[in-house]
Amino acid sequence: MTAKALTQQPIRHYGMEALRVLGALLIIFFVIFPIFWLFLTSLKNEGDTWSSSLSFTPTLSNFSQLFDGKPYDFGRMLLNTFFVSVVSALFSVPIATMAAFAFSRYRFIGKDLLLVAVLASQFLPGVVVLIPFFILFRDLQLLDTLTALIIMHLSGGIPFGIWMLKGFIDSLPVEIEEAAVVDGASEFGVLRHITGPLIMPGIVTVTVLSFIGSWNEFMFAFILTKTDAARPMMVGIMSLSGIRGTPWNLMAAASLILMVPVFILSLSIRRYFVQGLTMGAVK
Amino acid sequence: MQRGKYFKIILLGPALIILAATAAYPLGFTFAMSFRNWQLAKSFTPQDFIGFDHYVRAFTDDIFLNSLKVTLEFVALSVPTSILLGLAMALILQRPTNLNRFVRILLILPFAVAPALKGYSWRFMLDPGYGIFDQMIDFLFPVLKDIVWLQEPFWALTALAITEIWGWAPLIALVFVGALGVIDPEIPDAARVDGANDWQVFRHVTLPLLRPIIMLMTLLRIIYSLRLFDQVATLTGGGPGRSTETLNFFIYRTGFRFLDIGYASALAYILMAILFVVTFLYVKALMRDPQNDS
Repeated sequence: MTAKALTQQPIRHYGMEALRVLGALLIIFFVIFPIFWLFLTSLKNEGDTWSSSLSFTPTLSNFSQLFDGKPYDFGRMLLNTFFVSVVSALFSVPIATMAAFAFSRYRFIGKDLLLVAVLASQFLPGVVVLIPFFILFRDLQLLDTLTALIIMHLSGGIPFGIWMLKGFIDSLPVEIEEAAVVDGASEFGVLRHITGPLIMPGIVTVTVLSFIGSWNEFMFAFILTKTDAARPMMVGIMSLSGIRGTPWNLMAAASLILMVPVFILSLSIRRYFVQGLTMGAVK
Repeated sequence: MQRGKYFKIILLGPALIILAATAAYPLGFTFAMSFRNWQLAKSFTPQDFIGFDHYVRAFTDDIFLNSLKVTLEFVALSVPTSILLGLAMALILQRPTNLNRFVRILLILPFAVAPALKGYSWRFMLDPGYGIFDQMIDFLFPVLKDIVWLQEPFWALTALAITEIWGWAPLIALVFVGALGVIDPEIPDAARVDGANDWQVFRHVTLPLLRPIIMLMTLLRIIYSLRLFDQVATLTGGGPGRSTETLNFFIYRTGFRFLDIGYASALAYILMAILFVVTFLYVKALMRDPQNDS
C-alpha cells in the first residue's frame, strides 16, 4: 500500500465501513428472509398461516400430514425423487468420467468439434428433447414411469459431467500416468488406480451436482408423469393447490423437505459449486 | 499418451451413444417434424409434408409473437438487474472480513432452491391478502397498495423476474467476488497514487478488468432466461391472460396440451435458433477467456 492511500483512508474510514456492514446485513436479509419465512410457515397451523405475526405455537403436524398418504402420497413421491436422482447419478458419473479421461488424455479425429458439441448440448432447450421422447415413451408404454425420467436426466447429466471432469483431469500432470504405464500398469489400471483417486474431489462434485440437478428438475417430470407412482415431489407439490385455495402451511413444509437436502449438499461442495453451475466459466 | 485405439473407443462409446440418442436424435427428429402436419390427438403417425408452413404460420400467429415479446421483456427485466445487483453485492462483500466470509457462504442458498419451488414460495409471499412481501411493499410504498401482484400483466412478469433475480444475483455476486479477488491490488493502488478517487478507480480500472466475466455472466443469464419454464408453471401459469406466457411455455402448451407436434417442433426450432446465437457467443467467450485454459 502506498503512502497516499494510507493517509487518505482514515478520513472516510468509519462511514464507509458502517455502510459496508449495513450492506452486508441487507444482503443477508435479501438472501435468507424468503427461506426463513417459508420455514416459519411450515411450522404454523392453517389458521396462523394467514397472519404475519411472529408469535404462534409451532407445530410439526404439517410434516406428518404430508406423509399420511391422503389424498396424495408424498412419501412415495419423495422416494421417486430420491430414486431418480440416485440412479441418474450412478449412471452418468462413471460414463462421464470415462469420456472425460479420453477427451483429456487421447487424441482422435474431430475431438475439438465433439467437445464443443458436448458443451453446447447442455444448452439445448428441454422441449426439443421432450418432443421426440414423449412420442417414443408413448409408443414404448414408458410414459409416467421412473425409467423415462432417468433417461431424460442422462441427457443433461452426462455432457455436464464430461465438461467438468475434463477440467479436473486436465489439471493433473500427465507424467504420473506415464510413469505408471512404464511400470507396467494397463490403461484401464491407470484410470482406475491413478487418475480416478486423484480426481476424487471432481467425481464427488459431479455426483452431487448431478444429484441436485435431478432432484430440482421440474419440466420433464411435469410433462412425462401423471400419477403418484412415478411423479417426483417437485411436481407433486402442485396438486396441493385445489379449488379451495392452497394450504400454504403444507406447501411450505413440502418445499422445505425438498430444499434442505440441496442446501446441505450445495454447502458441502461449496468450493466447486459456482464453477459447476457456470459450466466452468469461473475457476 | 498415444496408445490404446480400442481403449479410447471403450471410454468414449457409452457417452457418445447416449449423446447421440438424447441430443442428436431429438435434434433430427424435431427438425423433420417441423415440416410436417401432425396432430397427435388425430393421428398416431406424422401426416403430410408441408414445407415451411409452420414457420410462416408462427410469424403471423399473434400468440407466438406475444410469447416472443414476453420472453424478450423477461430477459430485459431480469438480466441487467441481476447482473447489477450481483455486482453491487460483490463490491460490498469484496473484502475478506469475517462477516463478509459468512455472507458469501449464504449466497449459495437461493440458487440451490429449485426454480419450481421459487415459483411456489413467491406465489405465497406475494398473495394480496396475507403474503408477507405484499404487506412489506404496501408498508414501504403505499402507492402500490391496491396492486394484486399476479393479476396484472406487468407485475406478474415482474414477480417472475424477481424469482430469477433472487436466485441469480447472489450467485453472480459470488462469481464477481472471485474475479475481484484475482485483480492485482497494485493496479488500483497505482491509479490512486495518480490521484484517482474511488469512483474513478472503479469506473476506469476495476470495471474494465471485470468486463470479460460480466460479459460471460450476462450471456449465461440470457441463455437461462430464454429457457424460462418452471416458475411460469408454478407461479403464474402463463397468466393473467397470456401476459407471462414465455416462448418455452407456449411450446409446451402447443405440443403437450394441444398435441400439435408439428407446430410445436417448428416453434422449438425457432427457440433453438435464438438460443444457438447466444450459446455460440457464450462458448466463444468461454474459449477465449485467458483465465480459462480448458
